[in-house]
Amino acid sequence: MIRGKCWVASDYVMAYDIIIQQFWTSPIDAEENSKWVMAGVDEAFNKENGFKDHGYTFIVAAHNFAGGGKSIEHVIAGLMGAGIKAVFADSFARLQFRNAINYGLPFITCKDIAKGCQTGDELEFDPDTGIIKNLSQNNSFQSVPVAPFVAEVGREGGLMNFVRKKIAAGEEIK
Amino acid sequence: MGMTITEKIMAQNSGRDSVKPGELVWVDIHTVMTMDYLGKQCFSKFRSLGKTEVFDKDRVICVSDHLVPPPNQKFATMLNEWREVVREHDITHFYDLGRQGIAHQIMVEQGHVLPGKISIGTDSHANTYGAVGAVGNAIGVTDAAVAMATGKAWFRVPESVKFHIKGEWQPWIMGKDLSLHIMGMMHWNGHLIYKTLEFEGPAIESLDMAGRMTLCNMTVDLGAKNGIVAPDATTQAYLKDVAKGEWEMIASDSDANYEAIYEVDVTNLGPTISRPHKIDDVVEVEQLVGTKFNKAFVGTCTNGRLEDLAVLAKILKGKQIHRNVNMIVVPASQTVYLDALKAGYLQTLIEAGAAIDTPSCAACAGIHTGVAGDGDIVLSAGNRNMRGRMGSRNAEIYLTSPAVVAASVIKGEISDPRLVQI
Repeated sequence: MIRGKCWVASDYVMAYDIIIQQFWTSPIDAEENSKWVMAGVDEAFNKENGFKDHGYTFIVAAHNFAGGGKSIEHVIAGLMGAGIKAVFADSFARLQFRNAINYGLPFITCKDIAKGCQTGDELEFDPDTGIIKNLSQNNSFQSVPVAPFVAEVGREGGLMNFVRKKIAAGEEIK
Repeated sequence: MGMTITEKIMAQNSGRDSVKPGELVWVDIHTVMTMDYLGKQCFSKFRSLGKTEVFDKDRVICVSDHLVPPPNQKFATMLNEWREVVREHDITHFYDLGRQGIAHQIMVEQGHVLPGKISIGTDSHANTYGAVGAVGNAIGVTDAAVAMATGKAWFRVPESVKFHIKGEWQPWIMGKDLSLHIMGMMHWNGHLIYKTLEFEGPAIESLDMAGRMTLCNMTVDLGAKNGIVAPDATTQAYLKDVAKGEWEMIASDSDANYEAIYEVDVTNLGPTISRPHKIDDVVEVEQLVGTKFNKAFVGTCTNGRLEDLAVLAKILKGKQIHRNVNMIVVPASQTVYLDALKAGYLQTLIEAGAAIDTPSCAACAGIHTGVAGDGDIVLSAGNRNMRGRMGSRNAEIYLTSPAVVAASVIKGEISDPRLVQI
């Protein structure tokens, strides 16, 4: 069970805004990337640790979260470094959806959740049942279950660990 | 039930007889591409998996495209580190400054992507590879590292959506117009996320490889997983001298299942343009005729090919670019550059008042070579126009075809190429 405050994103929050152009050539590093994560989303976040200092645990969004077709993993590393433990949305841009799976950060598909949450609400997420409770508004949502492979990669702490173990054990990946 | 071309490719490359949308499969990767600004991190992640040698030195393709030529010391140092790590791993195909090009152009023109095979790259426009009938897919450095170590990547088999493209291409209407038209039709936030987009029909058969590349390239901007055109005579002719490896013809079965089928008649398609900040804010050029701009840019993995430069040269032959417009043209690769030079296109463009720059991603990635500053209004034949894409967040970017850019730079106002006297 994960519990914490959420930040509700507006539509069209793009990977470009989560990590702005000047940081694309930075190393992929959770601590480093988190300092300026969300800098392009809101003027209030456009300062060092501007987003991170709010202490959000979850992001709630509507459609195509982290879209715009940027494949950089700085986006996911930055969110994780800022303390984000899961993102809930109607849909995700596929490049960042994939990166999130590979990093073991739950990107959870959940219809209409943005309509039932406000920034600052206290949420509780049960990864086993997929139920997201909004404790501040006293409502709850059933998210779409994650595929077994995705859950397994998540349990291993990401694709790198998953593959590293297989290679070390001499197991075939299939 | 038959399979679509993408389903067949995923089945064939995962050792299965068949696959269904939604299935997760590990597939064999034909080629992995990585480039200068992410490549070093790919190799270091790859090493952390406990491997020292890549799965196949001939099939890990390394390209310098985002940072070359280095505009500052930071990039110069990054490039030096990148060169060192590529050489350390004895990579056969390293397209570095001097032999470089935009990675996606290199992958196709040098025959590193083949029909029926799966290639991945650490840059979002890897979807371009679908033009030759490959599954081309963008991935992050983690997937690239895993593929470099194992020759494999995991995929969710996507649902297929068919675009039946019919009719006759009209003068000055290009693959880009179709791309932008579909963008406006389907919308960015629409239901094409995760899908494979299959383009077929008479107007695809009559579209050249450059146009097919533009079309598949921008499927990533529709949110799709990949775009694909089944190989045909055009593909065979294109690959004849360049293909690095064997390949076979492959096509969708006639009873394959599509989640949706859309039809577009290009006979009615006019010059098309996307307005600043939202790529799906698409209108016909007619509606914006007279809009002033001060910068023009033609290049990128979307529209930096010989055929695109030919269109520019044809329209700008003997004409002058308006004095209030700065135009930069960046060929997509050294091969394109040389071919355009031999064909006389570059001379025509220079005489018209355009600046030609070294093949690279250039201003499209907002990193260098003609980036946009505050207040700039850019008419671009690139692929993205969100705030800050080409540099300043206080610039505006219109996206359109090379023909529209060429027609417009003469007056310094957005213009319809069909009305220009050639």
